[in-house]
Amino acid sequence: MAMRAGAHGVAGATAGLEAGKLGIWWFLASEIMLFGGLIASYVVFRLGGEGWAAEAAHLNTTIGIVNTLILLSSSLTVVQAFAAAERGETRATTVFLGLTVLGGLLFLGLKAVEYAGELGHGFTPASGLFWSFYYLMTGLHALHVLTGVVINLILLAGRRWRTPHRVELGGLYWHFVDVVWVFLFPLLYLA
Amino acid sequence: MAVTRPHPRYLVVWAWLLALMAAGLAASAAPRARGLAVAVIFGTAVAKALLIGLNFMHLRFEGPLIVAIATVPVLFAVVLTAALFPDFVFGP
Repeated sequence: MAMRAGAHGVAGATAGLEAGKLGIWWFLASEIMLFGGLIASYVVFRLGGEGWAAEAAHLNTTIGIVNTLILLSSSLTVVQAFAAAERGETRATTVFLGLTVLGGLLFLGLKAVEYAGELGHGFTPASGLFWSFYYLMTGLHALHVLTGVVINLILLAGRRWRTPHRVELGGLYWHFVDVVWVFLFPLLYLA
Repeated sequence: MAVTRPHPRYLVVWAWLLALMAAGLAASAAPRARGLAVAVIFGTAVAKALLIGLNFMHLRFEGPLIVAIATVPVLFAVVLTAALFPDFVFGP
């Protein structure tokens, strides 16, 4: 049975909320500030500087587009896993969680290929402010994707404690990672 | 036990996400009206984030506390960006 904040005497607004859900949303709020601060700094430096678009033109937009498709689709599969878990469909939950993990691994694999190409052309984090931001923001995001893959693998492995509540919490984290990419992609590759 | 919630039509939401992505890509390929293209690119990004938040993360079904926890940091980030604007608008 999912623990509820209200059951522990937390009065008022939190009463009736699942403690896990409240916890994950507080965590995501701190993550919004982390990525929000980075994105704000990037926007301010980019608007105040010259030559950023020329540097961004060296990025592999095709890989960026494919990775966007993968993450948007994996958000669909992870929410389908939650819906299936709520319906008690164990097999469907497993399939959708597996597809989500596959999407995450594909994203990371393509990102590695992209990094290898850029580093091979001499674009390192020390190549300028654009490249410092690029590697910092996409690297941090990739670490979050890797964390999401691990979370979903744990849910896949532990059928006994794979409750709908836990699948939902894992999914909320995964969707957040997707939303971050929704902004990183146009900021770095398109604008 | 976890509370069962309504589930939106996730496939329709996903189709909208792909359509918005295509619109952003089309705008980025436009040779003219760069300002309009940038507005479309980031407008579609915001729309995608809202679709994911409201439907996949179920914010449309959550109470005011969860909605506040999700939106207040976003507002802070926007205010932070706006507060930094004078640094380059009025800078040396």
